[in-house]
Amino acid sequence: MINFILKRLWHSGILAITMSLIVFFGMYVVGDPVEMLSDDEFTEQDKIDLAIELGLDKPLYEQYFTFTGDMLQGDFGTSFVYNRPVLDLIIERLPATLEISLLAMVIGLSIGIPLGIFSGIKNNSRASKIISFFTTVGYSTPNFWQAIILIMVFAVFLQWLPASGRGLTNSMFGVEWSLLSIDGLRHMALPAVNLAIYKICMQQRLAKSGTQEILYQEYMTYARAKGISRYRIIRRHLLRNILIPIVTITGLEVGGLIAFSTVTESIFSWPGIGKLLLDSIHMIDRPVVVAYLILITLMFVFINFVVDVMYAILDPRIRHQK
Amino acid sequence: MKYINFKTACFVAISASMMGSVSADTLRMAFSVAPSTIDPFKSSASGTASLNEHLYEALVSRTNDKLLATSYGWTDDTTLVVNLREGVKFHNGADFTAQDVVYSSCRMMYRVGGKKNMLTSAMGPVTDVVAIDDYTVAFKTVGLYPILIQKLKSLSILDSGDADLGSTLKFDNTGDCGITRYPTKDEFATGKYANGTGKYKYESFSNTGDAVLVRNDDYWGNPGNWERVEISSVGNSGARMAGLLAGDYDLIENPTGEDLLALEGNSAYSFSTEPSWRTIFLVLDVGSDVAPGVTAADGTNPLKDIRVRQALSLSINRDAIVDKLMGGNATVASQFAPSYQNGADSSMPDLAYDADKARQLLADAGYSDSITINLRMPTNKYQNGKRVGQAIAQYWSRIGIEVNLVAEPWSVFRKGRSARELGVFMYGWGHPQGPAQMISYAFGTRNKPLNLGGSNYSNYSSPDFDAAMTAWAVETDEAKAFEYNQAAMRVAVEDLPGIPLYYQHSIWAHTSDISVSGRPDERTFADMASKN
Repeated sequence: MINFILKRLWHSGILAITMSLIVFFGMYVVGDPVEMLSDDEFTEQDKIDLAIELGLDKPLYEQYFTFTGDMLQGDFGTSFVYNRPVLDLIIERLPATLEISLLAMVIGLSIGIPLGIFSGIKNNSRASKIISFFTTVGYSTPNFWQAIILIMVFAVFLQWLPASGRGLTNSMFGVEWSLLSIDGLRHMALPAVNLAIYKICMQQRLAKSGTQEILYQEYMTYARAKGISRYRIIRRHLLRNILIPIVTITGLEVGGLIAFSTVTESIFSWPGIGKLLLDSIHMIDRPVVVAYLILITLMFVFINFVVDVMYAILDPRIRHQK
Repeated sequence: MKYINFKTACFVAISASMMGSVSADTLRMAFSVAPSTIDPFKSSASGTASLNEHLYEALVSRTNDKLLATSYGWTDDTTLVVNLREGVKFHNGADFTAQDVVYSSCRMMYRVGGKKNMLTSAMGPVTDVVAIDDYTVAFKTVGLYPILIQKLKSLSILDSGDADLGSTLKFDNTGDCGITRYPTKDEFATGKYANGTGKYKYESFSNTGDAVLVRNDDYWGNPGNWERVEISSVGNSGARMAGLLAGDYDLIENPTGEDLLALEGNSAYSFSTEPSWRTIFLVLDVGSDVAPGVTAADGTNPLKDIRVRQALSLSINRDAIVDKLMGGNATVASQFAPSYQNGADSSMPDLAYDADKARQLLADAGYSDSITINLRMPTNKYQNGKRVGQAIAQYWSRIGIEVNLVAEPWSVFRKGRSARELGVFMYGWGHPQGPAQMISYAFGTRNKPLNLGGSNYSNYSSPDFDAAMTAWAVETDEAKAFEYNQAAMRVAVEDLPGIPLYYQHSIWAHTSDISVSGRPDERTFADMASKN
């Protein structure tokens, strides 16, 4: 196990370094932060002063080493645009993204898996076909389009829910959450559902194919022959076995939701980190983009690690492997 | 059946939204660019500037109304004396005096947390700021600098009581003025020092761009129209419009042309436009031997030939662009700054549209069917920009020029421009400081002391233009300065180092129960709106 963890650490180090290199130099190619920050009225000298202030007057490799050196000491740099520490910016906006991602995931799992198992067991029923039809549509229409339709229907025509923003937030553990108030939840509803639609569809398909595969295994037939109740078969034998692929995908999807719900966040003006990333790319706010993507890389590495451990818990073959 | 349902839904939506927006004396606005700070000296970006203008005031307003100044004048070549308004109070109750002007000037020059303020250039070549008495302040400059009062429009006045002034407050354009403690960046962010003399007072601001303001009942002039102002920031134009239709906002900035069409049939909503100071024009590299992205069969830079430039201008039907593409929400341009701006020559003749003559001019110049132009432009920057770019490309191809339209993100575009890789590009520019400012930067020959030609991407250099511009730069008599400016503008329109297209209009969409009278500087201020 220790060996396994060390190897993982080593890999993630290399990943983070590669990521930082690609993003750092990529951002350099895309645009010039000084140009983005300066007014048309700026003189040449103003621009030079600004470049010196931001440390952009030095050769690129030197900028890179300063940046990574600081980062190893826990200093992720200062945003060019907001003029504040990058880590503060990200941490401030993280709760908004976390709560919306988790809500979306909960909706996705709690609707998707039961639907999937149902349509796997009753494969030929009419209901199963209708479910599959809708999940195929949900799976293949673009996320932003669904967002616009949701806004049109629930915000503009029905006026049940607000179209954008975060609404009232309440404080818990010193962090602001929308989850804790009715107004906040109303604001969360549309973006969370928007993120959840894809998850529901995917979980349904995963659970369905898993169910169909497991359903015809010999041990299932044997269990039925033994006279075990239908409910117990589904819970003990079916659910456990279909969970392995679902756990893998869900792990990655949680990461994906946290890291890249950029589209949903910008359409609903949800002030999370996805929107921060997008805005920062537009403004060539290099410290934010690089730090963000490195943190996200590390997060994925961590999630993968957790997924592997979950595997071991769920699947005795992996657990008892020596 | 479905159709009826849809109509019913619309009806419900409309009546619900009408009920929603009759609520109290609160105005809810959605900005298109998020304000990034409540520190008035940190950024000139539109969102930040709009928000801060609610809280802070300068000596003179953007439209030349006197705010904290009651009169001003040059007593000698390098001394501007400003008389200040008496009886003005800051939001914290402190009295406004000349000391505050000196302090604010110091704060503008001071590097808070080691960072230069983005608006520092507003102070120009100011060497000293002296409080003569409580309500008189003098600005000293290195040399003649007549536009100083215009520049000072960016100097928001803060309360000197927010800092520890030390024993003697003495302006110093590089140091700290002897002030022992300035409010730090973080202290400022808490809102404790968001303390100006403006019509609205700070209540909250989050750096995601949402702010709440309340009316300043002790304002020296007419108090604000609204008891409470809530500002949200929604970058996506579709989401902004949805928010308006959903009843989340009363007023939104910059709706798209398509959205306006949808609003026209809906009595619950309306929109207001205002001609802005921004001119949309094309910049042509007329000075380089080889202009990037512009090729002619003989290898020269065809843009050096005035006949080619005239042909490029003649081939464009500006009326059609304004009527058809902009839906009338723009004004055809005859020069590089709006003819309706204070100081501009309002009788400048229209620029003609004559494609046959354009073809003839190209033939005379020897460039028939031999020019290729990469027309570069930023995406999502100007209203309908992409479509206007496509129209220009078509007009030019009609006179036998091959055009490649290259639309790029603003960041990529700006980088290319600063590297001078753009031979022909579309740009939009406007100045609150009068029509001369833009051309002095864009078309003047580089002149550091007078700050001319800093953004001369046309590589244009004309003795006549420069003579008029240098005379303008040191002319303290306003009427004469306007004359010089108009003379320079005539040279530029004659020489065409760029091609004026149209003056953009700003648009605000809002509920029908408020009326809006817009501003020409593209900023959004709560008092633009009033209840019907």
